[in-house]
Amino acid sequence: MKKYVSLLMAGVLAVGTLGGCSSAFEDTADTTSAAAGGSTKAVQEESGESSGGTGATDQSAPGDNMLHIPAKDEFPTVDTQKDTEFYVVPLNIYDRLVECEVVDGVAEIVPSLAETWEVSDDGLVYTFHLRKDVTFHNGEKLTADDVVYTVDRMMNPDTAARNTDVYSMIKGANARLNGEADSVEGVVALDEYTVEFTLDVPFGPFLANLATPACSVYNRKATQEAGDQFGIDPELTVGTGPFKMSDWVLNDRLTMVKNDDYFKGAPKLDGIEVIQVPDENTQKLMYENGELDIVDLSSSSSQLAYFLGNDAYKDNLVTGPEAGCYFYVFNQDMKPTDDVRVRKAISMAIDRQTILDQMYSGAGHVVNSMLPDGVLGAYDAAEIPYDPEGAKALLAEAGYGDGCELEIYQQTDNPDALAINQVIQSMLNEVGITVTIKQMDDAAYFAERKEGRLGMTRASWKADFNDPDNFLYTFFTERNAKIRSNNHKNTDVYQWLEDARAMVDEKERMALYQKIDTTVIQEDFTVLPLFQMDHIVVVQDWVKDFHVAWNGWTDVSYYTVSLEK
Amino acid sequence: MASFEQAASLAARRAVDGVKDKFSPEERAEAVRRIEEEELNYLPGPDTIKEKLIRMCRENKAAALSAGILAVMAAAIIFADKLAVYDPNAVNLMERLLPPSKAHWCGTDDLGRDIFTRILYGGRVSLLVGVIPTTISMVIGIILGMISGYIRQLEAVIMRLADIVLAFPSIVLAMVVMYTLGATTTNIFIALSMIGWAKTARVVRSQTLSIREQEFVEAARGMGVKKWTIMFRHILPNCLPSLIVLFTLNIPDAILSEANLSFLGVGTQPPDSSWGLMVSQARTFAQSSPWMLIFPSLAILIMVLALNFLGDGLRDVMDPHGR
Amino acid sequence: MLKYIIKRILVTIPVLIGVVFLIFVMLSVVPGDPLTVMMGEKVKVDVIERLSQSMHLNDPWYVRFVWYLWDAFHGDFGTSYKLMRSVSSLIAGAFPKTLMLAVTAAALSWVIGIPAGIISAVKKNSLADHLFMGFALCGVSIPAFSVGMILQNLFNGILPVSGFASPRHLILPALVLGWNAAGTIARLTRSSLLEVLEDDYIRTARAKGLAPVPVILSHALKNSLLPVITMMAIQISSLLSGAVITETLFSIPGVGRLAVDAINSRDMPLLQGTVIFTTAVIIAGNLAADILYSVVDPRIRVEGGK
Repeated sequence: MKKYVSLLMAGVLAVGTLGGCSSAFEDTADTTSAAAGGSTKAVQEESGESSGGTGATDQSAPGDNMLHIPAKDEFPTVDTQKDTEFYVVPLNIYDRLVECEVVDGVAEIVPSLAETWEVSDDGLVYTFHLRKDVTFHNGEKLTADDVVYTVDRMMNPDTAARNTDVYSMIKGANARLNGEADSVEGVVALDEYTVEFTLDVPFGPFLANLATPACSVYNRKATQEAGDQFGIDPELTVGTGPFKMSDWVLNDRLTMVKNDDYFKGAPKLDGIEVIQVPDENTQKLMYENGELDIVDLSSSSSQLAYFLGNDAYKDNLVTGPEAGCYFYVFNQDMKPTDDVRVRKAISMAIDRQTILDQMYSGAGHVVNSMLPDGVLGAYDAAEIPYDPEGAKALLAEAGYGDGCELEIYQQTDNPDALAINQVIQSMLNEVGITVTIKQMDDAAYFAERKEGRLGMTRASWKADFNDPDNFLYTFFTERNAKIRSNNHKNTDVYQWLEDARAMVDEKERMALYQKIDTTVIQEDFTVLPLFQMDHIVVVQDWVKDFHVAWNGWTDVSYYTVSLEK
Repeated sequence: MASFEQAASLAARRAVDGVKDKFSPEERAEAVRRIEEEELNYLPGPDTIKEKLIRMCRENKAAALSAGILAVMAAAIIFADKLAVYDPNAVNLMERLLPPSKAHWCGTDDLGRDIFTRILYGGRVSLLVGVIPTTISMVIGIILGMISGYIRQLEAVIMRLADIVLAFPSIVLAMVVMYTLGATTTNIFIALSMIGWAKTARVVRSQTLSIREQEFVEAARGMGVKKWTIMFRHILPNCLPSLIVLFTLNIPDAILSEANLSFLGVGTQPPDSSWGLMVSQARTFAQSSPWMLIFPSLAILIMVLALNFLGDGLRDVMDPHGR
Repeated sequence: MLKYIIKRILVTIPVLIGVVFLIFVMLSVVPGDPLTVMMGEKVKVDVIERLSQSMHLNDPWYVRFVWYLWDAFHGDFGTSYKLMRSVSSLIAGAFPKTLMLAVTAAALSWVIGIPAGIISAVKKNSLADHLFMGFALCGVSIPAFSVGMILQNLFNGILPVSGFASPRHLILPALVLGWNAAGTIARLTRSSLLEVLEDDYIRTARAKGLAPVPVILSHALKNSLLPVITMMAIQISSLLSGAVITETLFSIPGVGRLAVDAINSRDMPLLQGTVIFTTAVIIAGNLAADILYSVVDPRIRVEGGK
């Protein structure tokens, strides 16, 4: 009896192992589509076409014309109206009316879905003429109605979109969002291929704004049919872009395959695989293995020293601009940073150059302004000196001669922030400030920030669109001062920011932004700018025509890239 | 095996039990004293435990060696401030990621802190996390285990509760508790105590069940000795050998659980450091600066391995049939 | 026999409900409104309000508990805040991977653990005993993520170090997890074999002059492996626990990863779902172990537990 039971057990387990083996891997396509509500057949057709599909055993097989890129965090959805963070898929599967591209070293707005456009003299009416040869992945032709639908979907309160800010300057947009209207008044299809946007007030960066991933154009029919599965089910997520989504194994990899009917011509790659690799060291290992084709060091800064210090990689480094910077935000509603002298003292007690040199291999430069190079309105700001003695004097003047306590907040599971916060902790300790680092999970962190209760914290911002408004308005208007947890009280700045938006004269507008920036940083010490990093990307030998995006985002379009293995 | 005296006293006790109404309280107290005296023969007294320890050291060299290593490590950790030359939290950007050398025996980490120093100090957290929750959970487990073994009415409730706790994958339960309470060292103690008691309760309950059937317990009960007195004076000492083993084997579990929690980001919070946290922080530099990973890993390995060897050795001599 | 099995199954039901209750209460006392947080700063307040109403988030926790049980009973474990998909579909997608990893690791742990245990028992207190047990014990004495990181860096270029695209991707994580489980198996095999070896009939067999090796194989092993077999079912628990770490380290899209992500993003429905699911699997495993044990060893039925 006993013998048989043991035999039986062994048998069951052996079968289980084999069966489990095959099913777990074959399942991958099934489970994604099943999770999203069906259409397994279509997925299988796709994966036949893409050699990197579900059953692929060796990701770096020669002749595999797929591009493999890492992602550190899983995307909740690739519907850009509902997600404000992850744009690599949207940038490759959708198009915008216009795009921002670097032409002769300058970031410019270029035509995309819209061939031409006119702006009225008062800056209020934008008329776009669409290309007539654009089809969505489902075969539908792009028409002006799709553009109208896209804007309306964003502002429709039922969508619960998270990116509504990009259209909020359009006439009637907020009324739609508040449920006071059934459509967005300011967006009208004049004919099948012409669409007209009317704004509430002139908004200088409106075109640049339309080039952001959040303004990707959707197809009315496909999107309505997909319902809440749009952006989740690969088969139902339809755009016009050079690639189309084919498979998504959550927490593992997302596969896009080329769109042969792309209106600018089919891409050279067969497809793109976005692989989940949360750890930076693992990204490096997989790059060395040939499992990853591109690793962006600006999001894996712990590996900078390794790649920069190794001559073997000299020819694999692609550098470009990074229109963004790191900075510390002080909360003016919390002690001791409610006192401008303390904020100034902290700024003076931090040796930013040493941090940059030692921790980031000097790959960047210290900045003293919120407007980084490469962004309109960037200027030479006066240097905030490193002066611990001066800092001590200021602290004494503020009544903290015997030292004080300060809390620095950060998200859990952010080793890079933790490292620099610990350095700041020890630097501030030198001038008598005792720092406690408080780590909070993402949810708590953002909740506190929204309520204006987050203490000193490190932040970064990279340009969404090329305008100082994108940096300064985001942090320093009255409402944003609270939800970004700096709580600065300078009412002049609030007013200037609104004034600047409506200014038509570029020169005056930039001068005003410079004034705002100087006031906020050199007088109020609302934030302490740290560095603007060089954007360094390691790229395998066989990857051709890779360019760093104008704004230095890690998420870029891979339309132009090709592989030569 | 019973000696002549034991047989005699057994007979005497039965006699006492049967006719207890006929004796005065003084005589009964005297009889109880005699029973307890006799019980001492049954009990593994301090002398027997010492004997067993000596036997273990003689027969099981690995266990003996482990005990020695543990003593040295504990001493080094406790006197860390006397031994260490560096400040464990002093950031020195000019000396970051240095390989092991004479100045820095285990190298330095990404913020230029001396790893050997940090191992000594980090050991404090690891050691505390090993000992405190284990002690708390064992006290809870012993009390609940004895109650459920002795007071039948409460048995079902306590054992179902233990079933629920044991049903959880321990790390997941610990994660949920840390999530609920927030990540602090004190909460690690609470989380691990909340999980650990169930195992102890089960062991103690089954021991209680078998000991309560022993005749000296029956006799004590017959003499009117209170339940609680029986539990703590008669049953608990008899569980001692298994409890010593359990204690030794629960500490490594706690140390590893803390390491796992720290790896998942809900354990020890920087700038405090534990060995587990040091290992998980080494991850980003694991290839280029392996010393950041190797040395704290070794510290955990040596301590936990020694505890396991010691625990196994103790079990061999104290509790040969317990698993 | 059947009666005993039915009784065991019935006993697990209150345990399962207790588990759901405990998790629910613990997660309900966490302060903060996760939905507002998940939706971000730009979503209108009344949109969030309507959503929380539809999710019963405004009701007191006991009302929500009843709703949750009711929905769960109908197979609906809610929708993940972060991943915007139904919790049951997320778990259904992830579980095969976790199971795959656990089964491979278990198989590996027997291959390592049982022979090591046998050799150590036969050569008790010899050098071989210490070496084998030392090796097995190392597996339980070092955090899985330490071993995992070391292996990742050692085997880089030889084996895949992250992801779950092919069976080869499983080798390192299964090794890490399996080594850990092997320690437990080896210790159990050793101690139960030692116990049997000291039994009378083995001594008799030895006294009759039979060679030690056949004695062990024919008599002792058969009896001593009994608890080991039961252990294998119980092992599911430790493997699933370990999988949380291993999956995080090796970026395997299993249930443990979901749970860890849910913790980091305060995704309550997903966390509840994964914890309850994992616990149910473990309860089922323990139940199977108990029933199996009672089939092979009827004595146990009298006591009803160990």
